[in-house]
Amino acid sequence: MSEPGKKQIQAREGLFDWSDEGPYLLGSRCQKCGEVVFPTNPFCPQCCEETTEVIKLSRQGILYSFTVQRYKPPPPYRGPEVFAPYGVGMVELPEGVRVTSVLEESNPDRLKVGMPMEVVVKVRYQNDEGNDVLGYGFKVVE
Amino acid sequence: MRDVYAIGVGMHRFGRFGDKDVIEIGREAVVDAIRDAGIAWQEVGAAYCGTVFAGPMAGNKVLARVGLTGLPIMNVEDACASGGAALRAAYQAIAGGFCDVALAFGLEKMPRGFIAGNQDDWFAGLGLAVNPQYFALKARWHMANFGTTDDQLVRVSVKNHKNGASNPYAMYQKVMTFEEIANSAMVNDPLRLLMLCAPNEGGAAVILSTREVAMRHTTKLIKLSAAILKSPLYGTAEVPHMSLSAKVEAPTVTMTASKEAYETAGIGPDDLDLVETQDTDSASEIIYTEELGLCERGEGGRLLDEGATEIGGRIPVNVSGGLLSKGEPLGASALGQVAEVIWQLRGEAGARQVPDARVGLTHVYGALGNCAIAILQR
Repeated sequence: MSEPGKKQIQAREGLFDWSDEGPYLLGSRCQKCGEVVFPTNPFCPQCCEETTEVIKLSRQGILYSFTVQRYKPPPPYRGPEVFAPYGVGMVELPEGVRVTSVLEESNPDRLKVGMPMEVVVKVRYQNDEGNDVLGYGFKVVE
Repeated sequence: MRDVYAIGVGMHRFGRFGDKDVIEIGREAVVDAIRDAGIAWQEVGAAYCGTVFAGPMAGNKVLARVGLTGLPIMNVEDACASGGAALRAAYQAIAGGFCDVALAFGLEKMPRGFIAGNQDDWFAGLGLAVNPQYFALKARWHMANFGTTDDQLVRVSVKNHKNGASNPYAMYQKVMTFEEIANSAMVNDPLRLLMLCAPNEGGAAVILSTREVAMRHTTKLIKLSAAILKSPLYGTAEVPHMSLSAKVEAPTVTMTASKEAYETAGIGPDDLDLVETQDTDSASEIIYTEELGLCERGEGGRLLDEGATEIGGRIPVNVSGGLLSKGEPLGASALGQVAEVIWQLRGEAGARQVPDARVGLTHVYGALGNCAIAILQR
């Protein structure tokens, strides 16, 4: 929970929407070619034009590949003071996009390419102003 | 376009050299290359310097210690492909008729530890932009789809350390056993510490010239028949990335760059006698042997199992010891590969000599997908 007077902010503005039954990651779909990218970008990297609209991405997808980060990354990594290994993966969503993400599971024996995953939003660290910074992740669908 | 020849090569050993000045590291490689070519420094008409960490005007600082001749000096930064980009620029200068002798060189003195990502701060802040992560994601995907094994990842590193043990320019120069590598610390599953190359220090330099100049200085003519630099197409899995298309499957930049290199040189992968490739990690070597067309997609593990990539095999890969054994000083790395191929084609590679090597290919792959490929022939 946040302390009084402190805000919750997204690691980057417009990464996700958790206003109603979410959370949903937000992506951009090109109105010309249909390609979807994450995070949102007014520019379509395939058409090389500003032709995109913002869409909500499906909450569930499948694990395309994964690893476990066993050592603390160099700055600007902002994780906890005491480093704990975490999963990293690419999750393929039905919109035809593979999203690189933190995984909530850090035991590689419990991860398998092709398994169903679901998006979550969590506080990842406190920024210099003391605000909670929210990031996205994927958990294994039980 | 004029044909381009490699007439001189010099290297400063790759490794860690304490307080030694990076500019001095670069100077030693350049002076060795000039001496090896047997030319006067005043004959060099253009110079291109690759580096990432040596700071502004590094090339000018090096060449100020060699001699002020007024030549144009260009400083090039293209991450792991920096040296390859410098080589291409020097190649273009000769091929295009802008000068008759050109120098490509690279130097580096890198910070210790993992290279920080090249992505936005917010993304790195979440812990999603460390280099080995992306190599590991590619490795795991390859294992899941093609059955590449943990044992194969270990054996790539065994092979390259064995080759590097007889390379006086390599960082480690030490045979490493299967057990040592297989029991080294896990960094990013499935990649262990001794399956990853070390960022380090070093320098390398190559002198290029026209055929006419080359004929005056050597009887061992070595043609640089392609020096390609490419960036990726939309829809390819390049590192690092926030998202990738699952709908568009474009050929990777190693595929597009090698295709252009083979076409430019007028040869195919079957004509190669040796390959130096970007083994930042064991899995990358397996994947790149496929992308360079040395075997079919998914067959890289089998190519290794068959012994084809050993010295004496069908297509020896990383006979210098590769980045796994030499380490990776970014700006010098590609030119270190070119140096190895030149020595191999001249028959000067000692214990790691590939018998009767006539055609060699070098390949580097940099952050965000910059890829440089060269083909050398005698």
